[in-house]
Parts: sequence; structure tokens; C-alpha cells
Amino acid sequence: MGIVTTATLTTTESLPIKEPVPKRQYPGALVVVEGIDGSGKSTQLYLLKRWLEIGGYRIHFTEWNSSPLVRSATRRGKQRRLLTPTTFSLLHAADFADRCERQIMPLLHGGYLVLADRYIYTAFARDAARGCSPHWLRNLYSFAPTPDITFYFRAPLDVAVNRIVAGRPKLKYYEAGMDLGISLDRAESFRIFQERILNNYDQMIETDQFVLMDGTVRVNKLQKLMRQIVGERISLQQFAPKKK
Amino acid sequence: MKRANKAAVKTHGANGRPAAKRKRAVVELPSRFYGSPLPGVKPEELSGTLVVIEGTDGSGRSTQISLLTEWLESEGFAVQTMGLRRSYLVGEDIDGLLAENSVTRMTLALMYSTDFFDQLERRILPALRSGLIVLADRYIFTLIARAAVRGIGRDYLHGIYETALRPDLTFWLNVRPEVAFDREFKKSQTISYWESGRDMSLSNDLFQSFIRYQSMIKREFEYLSKRHSFIEMDGESSVSDLNRLLRKRIAAHLGIRSTHYRPSHALSHLWR
Repeated sequence: MGIVTTATLTTTESLPIKEPVPKRQYPGALVVVEGIDGSGKSTQLYLLKRWLEIGGYRIHFTEWNSSPLVRSATRRGKQRRLLTPTTFSLLHAADFADRCERQIMPLLHGGYLVLADRYIYTAFARDAARGCSPHWLRNLYSFAPTPDITFYFRAPLDVAVNRIVAGRPKLKYYEAGMDLGISLDRAESFRIFQERILNNYDQMIETDQFVLMDGTVRVNKLQKLMRQIVGERISLQQFAPKKK
Repeated sequence: MKRANKAAVKTHGANGRPAAKRKRAVVELPSRFYGSPLPGVKPEELSGTLVVIEGTDGSGRSTQISLLTEWLESEGFAVQTMGLRRSYLVGEDIDGLLAENSVTRMTLALMYSTDFFDQLERRILPALRSGLIVLADRYIFTLIARAAVRGIGRDYLHGIYETALRPDLTFWLNVRPEVAFDREFKKSQTISYWESGRDMSLSNDLFQSFIRYQSMIKREFEYLSKRHSFIEMDGESSVSDLNRLLRKRIAAHLGIRSTHYRPSHALSHLWR
């Protein structure tokens, strides 16, 4: 297993491998990826998912903001720019609650390995950057199950911002944090907003036991490390296809 | 007559009594919100008055609000109203969610809170900044009670609504579930799925389900009433008696001397 560079392991090596969540009430497991846009998290989770899928494991993939129930409201709010920090946050919480109650929890109880592209920490980092109280946010999402592993993909701000700006013709209003009135220039506003989010993520590394992943490492190397950590922390056999 | 009035009004807690005087002295800045104020809101700018009317369906809330609006406007006060599912942002979406039965309790609770805060931030706070009287047809208390009887933690719910504005006056029109049933049935010839708590599988009999559900809600209200100093009113008294008592309270708070009022022709049908 040894080819992983030490630079990527700064936190994971020193982090004691803990029992995921004490006294969990379900047989499944939850692995989430977090990080700002352009940190490489979605690519890595996709590759992890493919690895598990090809191996025939019982998995389910879920991503942030994907429930049709609140999609029309989110769209309406974004189009007309009606959302305040509070309603923005509550709408996403309602959306998450729907996914949590109708997908994530039943799957965890049913013994699935659930992979989540973004989780409650996205809300903690982003909504706090909009001005919501961290205490209020923690309470809002207190119904969510604690992940077994939270991978935090961290790339330098410039790297991440350039990846996004280069690949997109125009940054969206809320995505760029234009509602905060930081700057009239969208790219500038996006940068400052992402910086705030990045700082909020960094503050959760210890409190929420993030596994820090260096988003600048080559994709396949990073994926190798990710698979290794998943293999160490989760007993994958229980999700493996049953032998006939 | 006078004695009957006194019996109909019960107050809970220390805040129920001299509310008018406290308001007159100095606007108490920290007390306008339950916890920290909403992001970007300056409590000292809010010069208007928030009056909340709570009570189950069939307690006469909307009738009283129509009459109070007319009375206040005739006294020269501008009125803004709010109520559940009236936000532009998600009001219709909630109607849609209620129409299908696939929605789960937490999602529904959070959609209602989105609906509430959208109205609060974009309609109510601007109205209060302009010095209007806001009459709220239900408020966070109904939302807390409904979610709490479905097993969502009270502390959790209070945590969500801690950034909400504290009302200047909260009236609770208390009626027995049996009376609420009679009134609702008379009004629509049936009993709604949600008002009878059918999602909670309490009973297959609609009447039993309604009574049990409304009794649970009522218990939550009794608890909330103590915690938040509701002014409890007898929702079973006549429309005109109840309206007179409400006017008296509101008049004292706003410093209106005369509480004389007769409904206009347009509203006279409500006056029974």
C-alpha cells in the first residue's frame, strides 16, 4: 500500500482511527465528501463510487440539493433573488430533511453504504459565510446522522477558484455570494465568498474529525488514498455481494 | 356583562398584565427577538406593533382578524396581515406537499419555517419598520405545536424560531376540540386530513381522530401559553363579545382611547 505521498497524509496519519459513531442505531455506513467548489471532491467521490459499484457493493449515492420536492421553490427564489440568508438556509435544510428521511435513513437502516456528495458541513460553512449563526445552524441540522468518514478536500483558494471560473461562462448570483453585497464584480465576490467558506471548513477539521485530503495531488494517487482509508475504517465485507 | 368579560380573559405569567406600560416606557431592544436577531435586522428600527392571534381551525381567528383590521383602519392605523402558507417563496409548494401524502414530518416542518421566515423578513419586518400594525393569523406557536405532537423535539423547534420576532401581544382563542369540530364541519361539510391529524394514525374514525389530535395540540398550547405569556381568550364566546375584549387589550397597548366599533355593512354578516 505504501506509495502515498506523506504530504497528503498530514492529518489522516495523526488522526486516531476512531469508532465511527458510538452506538449507531443502524447497520449501514455513511461516507461524505466536503470542500469548496473546485476542490476535486466530486471527481474523487465519483471514482470511489465506481470502484464500489464495479465490486458489486450495496451502495447508494446522494448529492446535495437534488430533491424534486423543493426544487421549484429554490428555482423561484434564485431566479427572483428573493432568498435571505435565513430562507436560503431553511430551504436547503428542508431539501436535506427530505433526502435524509426518505433516502439516507432508510438506506442506513437497510444496511447500505451511503455516499454523499456534500453534507451538513456544506450548510455550516456556506450559510455561516452568509451570516447565519453557527449555533442556529448546528441546531437546524441536529437530526442528521453523523458520518462514519468525512473527507475534506482542500485546495488552495486560487487553484479552486480558477478551476471553477475557467470552466464556467458565468457565475450564478447566489453561487458568487452576490446577495451579500461584498463586491459588484462577480468573480471578485465569488473569490471572497469562497475564501470565507474555506475558512469555515478549516475550523471544522478538528471539531468534526474531517479527514483532510490535498486536492492538488494527482487524481489517481488521491483516489488510491481515499480507497485505502475507506477500506481501513469501514468493514466493506458487510456491503459486499452475497456469495451464492 | 362586565363580569363576563373579566372571566373570559385569563393571562399567564408576569408579562400578560402591564404590557402597554412596558412598551410606552422604552423600546426594550433585546426582547424583540427570542434569541439573536435575524442577520441584518436592527431591532431599534422596528416601530410597529405585532399582534398575534393563535387558535385551532374553528376558533374564529380569521373572523376576528377581519373585524380588527377594519376597526384599526377606522382608527387610522395601517394594518398588514400574515398567515400560514402565504409566502410567495413556498406558499404554493406547501399546498402541493399537503395534497400528496409523501411528505415527511421534518421536511414539512422546515418548509413551514421557510414560509414563515420569508413572510417575516420580506413583508412583516418592512411593515414594522414603517410603523404598521401587523395582525398575524397564527404564528410560530402553531408551527411548534404541530411539529411537537409529531415527535420533533421542542428544544429543536424553539432553536429554529429563536431568530423570530417576539410578538407584542399574543392572543390564544381557546375552544374545546368538540366545538371546533362543530364549527369546522358546519363550514365545509367535512373535516380536513391535516386538521384531524390523519397522518398520525390516531383513529380510523374521523371524529375521534380530530378530537384526539386537537387535544394533543391543545396540550402543547397550554405549555406554550405559560412559556410565552399568551393572553388566553374564550373562543367559545360570541363574536362581538370576543371582539370587544380584543379591542380593549389592543387599544390599551396602542393608546387608543375609545374602543367603540360597529362593523361596516361589508362585515356585518360576521357580527353574530
